[in-house]
Amino acid sequence: MKNNKGYHIIILFCLCFLAVANVNAQSDWQAPAEENEKLSPFLFDDDMVLEGRIAYENSCTSCHGTPGQDDFTPMSPPPGDPAAEQFQAQSDGSMFYKIKMGRGTMPKFEDAFADDELWNIVAYIRSFNEDYKQELPNMEGVVIPEYAMSLSFDENVDKLVVKVFAEELPQPEVSVSAYVMGTFGKHLLGKAQTNELGIAYVDVDPTLPGDEEGKVNVMVKATKEFARAKVEKHMVMAKPTERHSAIEGRHIWSTDRMAPIWLKITFFVSVFGVWFALLFIVFGLRNIKKAREEA
Amino acid sequence: MNETIAKGHLSEEQIDKDLLKNVNWGGKFKLWMGFLTVSLIICLYYYYQQLQNGLGVTGLHDYVSWGIYISNFVFFVATSLIGMLVSSVLGMMKVEWVRPVARIAELVALAFAMVAGLIIITDMGRPDRLLNVFIHGRVQSPIVWDIAVVVTYVVISGLLLYIPMLPDIALCRDKLNNVPKWQQKMYRSLSLGWNNTAKQFRLMNRYTRMLLILIIPIALSIHTVTSWLFAMTLRSGWDSPIFGPYFVSGAFVAGCAAVIIAMFFFRNNYKLKEYITADHFDRMGKLLVLVALVYVYFNINEIIVPGYKANTADAKHVHEMLYGHDSVMFWLVQLGGLVIPFLLILFKPMRKPLPLTIIAVVILAGAWFKRVLIVVPTQLAPYYPIQNVPEGWTGYSPTTPEVAITVASFILVVMIITVLAKLFPVVPIWEVKEDMNHKNNK
Ligand code: HEC
Repeated sequence: MKNNKGYHIIILFCLCFLAVANVNAQSDWQAPAEENEKLSPFLFDDDMVLEGRIAYENSCTSCHGTPGQDDFTPMSPPPGDPAAEQFQAQSDGSMFYKIKMGRGTMPKFEDAFADDELWNIVAYIRSFNEDYKQELPNMEGVVIPEYAMSLSFDENVDKLVVKVFAEELPQPEVSVSAYVMGTFGKHLLGKAQTNELGIAYVDVDPTLPGDEEGKVNVMVKATKEFARAKVEKHMVMAKPTERHSAIEGRHIWSTDRMAPIWLKITFFVSVFGVWFALLFIVFGLRNIKKAREEA
Repeated sequence: MNETIAKGHLSEEQIDKDLLKNVNWGGKFKLWMGFLTVSLIICLYYYYQQLQNGLGVTGLHDYVSWGIYISNFVFFVATSLIGMLVSSVLGMMKVEWVRPVARIAELVALAFAMVAGLIIITDMGRPDRLLNVFIHGRVQSPIVWDIAVVVTYVVISGLLLYIPMLPDIALCRDKLNNVPKWQQKMYRSLSLGWNNTAKQFRLMNRYTRMLLILIIPIALSIHTVTSWLFAMTLRSGWDSPIFGPYFVSGAFVAGCAAVIIAMFFFRNNYKLKEYITADHFDRMGKLLVLVALVYVYFNINEIIVPGYKANTADAKHVHEMLYGHDSVMFWLVQLGGLVIPFLLILFKPMRKPLPLTIIAVVILAGAWFKRVLIVVPTQLAPYYPIQNVPEGWTGYSPTTPEVAITVASFILVVMIITVLAKLFPVVPIWEVKEDMNHKNNK
């Protein structure tokens, strides 16, 4: 029996090896036909490219390298450089599918990115291809609702309240993502879906630092199928930041006038104390002179 | 019976004669002073060059802006600290044997402290702006503290030399009739009408005691503040909390060595074998062992603590010292200038006057180079690497004017000591007599 077990393990290893070899051999990776034809509902604009770039640099560079530099990690099968001709030869739908589903060492990003974020990455990868012309879906007969959004902050529960309308009608099941805009990028506050009243709630961290009045610049995106909208608004919903000058008050590193009191006192009391004693002695020398006659 | 205090066979007249004999302007003195003056003038020519052309004539540059001038300053401040140790600490502990050599220690202290202040000025490219330090100085700056304590220390050292010397000045006034007129006048006014009255002695002792107490914190702070000039800067090799005691302990080593050399010189040239005895050398040798031991202990701390760490800037600094760029000087200074001399003077024959003096010269030279090792290498290893600078800025070597000006500072010290030792008796006459009477009456 025991011998048999070892035998099985060897067979198992061989099978595994064959399986791996098989995957290796099958070097070109095809997305299913209907996925292949899928088109981005969004027009790839600079905004999408920028977002895609951030996502790419965080999640893909480690294997695929910087596009155009051919510095992807050597492995089998190779990840390939996204700017390379071979990589670009596939359809948008195929790229979208492969990123979403993954294969072998290529991770599956289905849970990491929402569809619109996956399209951002595709837009970024396409930005390295000068000959690329985006194919947009046939919109004939499709009515794309035009969203309007209203933002408010409920300070009782620290939530950002997003209402999505189209022609005054509340829009349910719209994906809403809210960001706080910073100088060098944006910070994701959270994502939510609108309810049947067209309202989505996003949690706001009450310790988020704002400006002197607690204001932050909020950007909210709403997407559903082909519909897309974006608003930006300065809102009072964060913690006010009190700004202090670095040289305000008394400090060791400040000017002489602004030296710490304890230091001034210590310094001048010691110096004057010692010199007082010295002067006492110097003047006392007169007494020595006076004492020349024995009393 | 103890040799240092056994002068029972000397009469008071003999003591007066022996110790006053040196207060004269003999031919030997004139020759020696002439030699010193000529050397000083040659060196001052280089200072004139520096005044004209600025610090460009030195090897200093943007990275090493503190070179041998500042190293020399630290060395001078260090050496001057011995006055405090010998006359104050030992004096107040009623250590009798130091009394005949206490004045020599004070002379060394005063001369080195006075010149230390001048060295700072030689490190200034625009000495005419010296007053700005006082007008615009910030009370937060250790440089301002340093100036305050150095000036105070010079004054205290001067008073501490002067006040206990009053009876001897009076003796000069009364006994020396063949000295120039101005000198007699000087003794007359300096002696403050000293008449050996009990009240005068009482006052003198009171003021002396006050000074002896005052000088301890001042002397400690003068060298601690000097160490802070470095330690309060964020630099590898300087940024150390034990820099104060490290400097103070090193100061005593240098000072003891300087006093031993001065003792040897006076004993031989002034024929003072009866007063500065072989036993004094033996005891100074033992004192040197003690202070060197403390200093070795601080050195070990300064090296092993940062050096133990793997890859900090301080560790790199220590490694440069131990086996890198500065290792030759480092080992010469540590072994040749400290450890080996220290081991040698553990043996009694090595504490005889001549061998001890030779060892003291080696220790003093080592102490000087030690200051260079503290000051210079750190500046060559800043946290931001030295890049895109003129060639030569990655190293430092002192130029001829720099060396000459540094030599000038030593000449000045020797001149000050020489002149003072010609104006006043170097061994306190009244204390020797008092000691003797004390012993005889027992
Ligand atoms: C752990 C390494 C790794 C990471 C991280 C990774 N990939 Fe891949 N990727 C691969 C490998 C390996 C392949 C080749 C898979 C194969 O052919 O079986 C691949 C293949 C692909 C393909 C298909 C290329 C083609 O020519 O068919 C796309 C598209 C792709 N990756 C995009 C991405 C994107 C976008 C990201 C970041 C969101 C990403 N990858 C992150 C390793 C990685």
